Amino acid sequence: MANAIIMPRQGQSVESCIFTDWYKQVGDEIKQGDILFAYETDKASFEQEAEEDGILLATFCEAGDEIPVLHNIGVLGQAGEDISAFQAEGRDESMEESTTAEENPEVEANEPVQVVLKEAVNGDKVKISPRAKKLAEAEVVPFEKIEGSGPQGRIIVRDIEAYLASVPKITPLAKEVIKEEGLQVVEQGSGLDGMVRATDLSTNPVYSNDFEVKKLSNIRRLIAKAMHASLQNSAQLTHHLGADARRLLELRKLVKATEGAPNITINDMVCFAVIRALKLFPDANAHFMGDSVKYFNKVHLGLAVDTDRGLMVPAIKNADDLSIAGLSSQFKEVAESCRKGNIDPELLSSEAASFTVSNLGNYGVEMFTPVINLPQVAILGVNTIVPRPADLGGGAYGFVPYMGLSLTYDHQALDGGLATRFLKQIAIEIENLSIDF
Amino acid sequence: MPKSQFIDPIKVRQAGKIEFKDIPVNQYDKSVEEEKVNFSKEQFIGIYHDMVLIREFETMLNEIKIKGEYQGIAYNHPGPAHLSIGQESAAVGMAYHLNAQDFIFGSHRSHGEILAKGMSAIHKMDDNALMEVMKNFFDGTILKIVSENHQGDLKALARRFLVYGTLAEVFARETGFNKGLGGSMHAFFTPFGVYPNNAIVGGSGDIAVGAALFKKVNQKEGVVVANIGDASMACGPVWEGLAFASMDQFEQLWEGAYKGGLPIIFNIMNNQYGMGGQTCGETMGYDIAARIGAGVNRDSMHAERVDGYNPLAVIDAYQRKLELLKDKKGPVLLDVLTYRYSGHSPSDASSYRSKEEIEAWEKQDCITSYGTELVKAGVVSQDELDAIKADVAELMKYSMKLAIDEEVSPRMDLVKHPELIGEMMFSEGSIDKMEDRPVEVNHPIEENPRVKQIANKERFAFDANGKPFSKIKQYQLRDGLFEAIVDRFYKDPTLVAYGEENRDWGGAFAVYRGLTEALPYQRLFNSPISEASIIGTAIGYAMCGGRVIPEIMYCDFLGRCGDEVFNQLPKWQAMSGNVIKMPVVVRVSVGSKYGAQHSQDWSSLVAHIPGLKVCFPATPYDAKGLMNAALQGTDPVIFFESQRIYDIGEQFHKGGVPEEYYEIPFGEPDVKKEGKDITILTIGATVYRALEAAKELEEKYGMSAEVIDARSIVPFNYEPVIESLKKTGRILLTSDANERGSFLKDMAQRITELAFDELDAPPVVVGSRNWITPAYELEDYFFPTKDWMIDAIHEKIVPLKGHSVANNFTNAEMIRRSKLGI
Repeated sequence: MANAIIMPRQGQSVESCIFTDWYKQVGDEIKQGDILFAYETDKASFEQEAEEDGILLATFCEAGDEIPVLHNIGVLGQAGEDISAFQAEGRDESMEESTTAEENPEVEANEPVQVVLKEAVNGDKVKISPRAKKLAEAEVVPFEKIEGSGPQGRIIVRDIEAYLASVPKITPLAKEVIKEEGLQVVEQGSGLDGMVRATDLSTNPVYSNDFEVKKLSNIRRLIAKAMHASLQNSAQLTHHLGADARRLLELRKLVKATEGAPNITINDMVCFAVIRALKLFPDANAHFMGDSVKYFNKVHLGLAVDTDRGLMVPAIKNADDLSIAGLSSQFKEVAESCRKGNIDPELLSSEAASFTVSNLGNYGVEMFTPVINLPQVAILGVNTIVPRPADLGGGAYGFVPYMGLSLTYDHQALDGGLATRFLKQIAIEIENLSIDF
Repeated sequence: MPKSQFIDPIKVRQAGKIEFKDIPVNQYDKSVEEEKVNFSKEQFIGIYHDMVLIREFETMLNEIKIKGEYQGIAYNHPGPAHLSIGQESAAVGMAYHLNAQDFIFGSHRSHGEILAKGMSAIHKMDDNALMEVMKNFFDGTILKIVSENHQGDLKALARRFLVYGTLAEVFARETGFNKGLGGSMHAFFTPFGVYPNNAIVGGSGDIAVGAALFKKVNQKEGVVVANIGDASMACGPVWEGLAFASMDQFEQLWEGAYKGGLPIIFNIMNNQYGMGGQTCGETMGYDIAARIGAGVNRDSMHAERVDGYNPLAVIDAYQRKLELLKDKKGPVLLDVLTYRYSGHSPSDASSYRSKEEIEAWEKQDCITSYGTELVKAGVVSQDELDAIKADVAELMKYSMKLAIDEEVSPRMDLVKHPELIGEMMFSEGSIDKMEDRPVEVNHPIEENPRVKQIANKERFAFDANGKPFSKIKQYQLRDGLFEAIVDRFYKDPTLVAYGEENRDWGGAFAVYRGLTEALPYQRLFNSPISEASIIGTAIGYAMCGGRVIPEIMYCDFLGRCGDEVFNQLPKWQAMSGNVIKMPVVVRVSVGSKYGAQHSQDWSSLVAHIPGLKVCFPATPYDAKGLMNAALQGTDPVIFFESQRIYDIGEQFHKGGVPEEYYEIPFGEPDVKKEGKDITILTIGATVYRALEAAKELEEKYGMSAEVIDARSIVPFNYEPVIESLKKTGRILLTSDANERGSFLKDMAQRITELAFDELDAPPVVVGSRNWITPAYELEDYFFPTKDWMIDAIHEKIVPLKGHSVANNFTNAEMIRRSKLGI
């Protein structure tokens, strides 16, 4: 029996290969293992061996042709065998241009069939003829969604053909991938005329089935958008610097030891220090507007809050007017509102804050690169406190608790020197913090 | 009715009476002493020996069946063993004068006849001839087995050969006379003139007549003996065989060497029971079976009752009857009175007869009494007789040991060769003529009036502009059949054709017009209106080596030859171990217009029976090509023709029907019209209605139908149909047969199995209603029409836009009809 010679598949994303050369002529006797032809992808060239003995009965392509993978490029069989069944599909025109003429389904001339889609109901028995099913499976048609036009509503071939004519084509590789991995067909692809390519199927080739797809929640969608926009629309980079945390820890101990004192946390203290530093560096307390910069007189401090529903950054307006105790209590209030979901949406807008602090210290993070809430020009990431060897003076060395500070800033708005100095100022404020409570 | 015979009303209306010749009853009364002038000592002893041989052979089988052992050798034989213990003298007497050219046919109870006839042949044949037979049979397989350690002369070796070959056959061994495919009830050995024994009661009654016909038509030496039981005298086919054998035409119309009666003896082995039914006194009324002869012909068939308990009486009768046959005075009827002590079969408790009766017959046992007479007459001593018995017992022990030895006598290895029996179902020969000698014809073929008339006909239905010629100008389907048949008559000297109205009339549908002029009587004649004998004799004729075309005028009459078509014709090639060929082409005409008993297409019935080839051509080109192939072959063919289209011209084969000889291979369907949207597969005349449907589908619904004519149905190549289906995905099947159980259903199932994934809808069968066929004027409500086909497509395959149905093909209707059995 004659068999098609096909352009081999090359992984999950190579849709087509360039045919390089036939090593055999039509009529040649072929032994299994003989090199039949060569082809290349954009990354490498390959030689293909014959998979069986036979006579090369036909070739459908020549050097330089771009051939979709899995397409017939020739026929191997026994002398005299009929090869008409192996149509020359070597150069698939549809890869380059859309030809609608060929796509007319083979339905009776006077009987155009309308494609009627329905909501597939689970558990409904789909009536489909074996031939229609075979075609649907080969062409990855979601037949359970089609209304059949055959007897008793059976889906018959003409229904599948009509459906195929109504949707963009799918590349052979994409069909293969869909079949192999049981993926849903995407209705619109990224190829020409909406042709669906393997890449449109966005699948992890390794963990192909180990996932479930869920719609994004609104908040997630907003975050995603904001984060993506941030990275795309600014020139972010991050400096890391440590601050001696002995003063902070002393103060915290003191707060705890003082009866009736508000529960002022280390984060409250850091933010208090940041506000002081911002007062000295107005360039960092600003919004970058592309062709202008908005400088704020007051500090409106954004604080990243982790909630069940996602990351939220509420702003504390006029934070520089607040005492440490006031700041602390405001923080607790907005964080609680965020978690409950009754926060004023206005406060969540990235325009509401002039600078943001994101504290991951509680979680033991030692260093990270926070993403700026545009249009703010910078964000401070607060890390955990770790003991570090330090010069204690007098030739003595010892371990000192240090807090990591990661400042991400938009290089469009701030220069590196300024940013460094600002960050250093924060450290100084922390190391020399004094508070009343 | 030939014109040469004038039925004179004055003569036939005269008063008178029928006088019967006397029918002698047990008239033989010679003593051994008196017979000494006719028999040598060896011959007297030979008769005794042969009877003892049969007795011991059957005693052995009886003991194996009843005790599971013989002479201490254990064996289980689950198959049949219908024994004739007590009847040995009848068998040996029957066979005594016969030689290898004389053929005997028998029944399910014929072990004795096989051995008697075999021994008779061995006694008469010279050593060289015997050796030739044994060497050539199955390439000497049996000879090789029995030659091992053989001491003694060639006749003794031949005796071993006969007993072993028969026993191995009874035990279904591949080394048996029929490769184990015949078994006890069908064993036979043609080189010794033993032709098929038949397990259907009376089955040989018409087949044997065909063998006698073969002898006569082909001027062969020898006579034919039909050994049938007394109870078979009630069977239709036996009477039909008697009627056929005693036709007046043999004496009154056949000419020259062919004039005179058939060389056949109907030998009633009258053991007085048909299973448990006592023929005389209970189930029949003839009193003495020989009386039957009086009702058959003027000679009362030279009937006679003979005392079958005396072998010499039977031999005497045969000597006289064979003389009659030599003088062409057949047929002869012999009523050979005998008795079996053994039951019908080992399961028979003899509840239908008294112990006293059996004992009374045993007292007169044919072997003992004959032996006593021989001793009394001083021919032999008791010791000599005892020595014969001992020798025969030894032979049986030897044969049994050999026949049950799995190494020496294996059964067919269907594990190693799973298709062994399959390959034996058809002989697939391709033979111009069954014998090489000049043909007997009345004139050169060119001078035949029909041949001349056909020469002026248009061999393609349409002229150059596509306009049809007038019906009368067109070369018709009947002309295609005629050309193939007349051609074969001029090639094969053994070919004969007969049936009802085959001569003079030219066949009821004018296929044979012109043949009467071309052929002498013995090659083409009218048979009695007696389908069982038409087919039965054809089977016998072919078994002996001739080619024959029996005709069944209406398909509906197939029931009249049910046993012949279902049990005999299809089976003998394989049941003989391929010793026998069966070149019989049964022409069967399917009617219409004549109502319920003259309009049925029963192609499905015969297609169901393994061993028959079945075709149903619908065009002149196909009819001629398939008839040529059928007549060139060596297998039985049921050749269907439709009375609707005997006059149809050739509309498909470009260039028209070729004048020269060509064959269309059996089993190849033919695409009559190409198409791409639906396949319509037809059997027989419905192809033309399918083409009409295709036209309407194209014009009204833009649907292009491919029409495939099955042409033959057994064998059948599904590949072209599957190819078509790959293209169209849809198939409708139609024929004039009743829809229920139609062969189309078989095809639909097979297609579904072979091409399930190609189907866009289930294969739909459109056949006739499961009713009686109504009058012609109502036939459109009974037979498939183009509208039925289109409605069925719309309802079951693909809804046609704007089509409204007139016939109910819904599932609900199918269920309703099935529930009611209509």
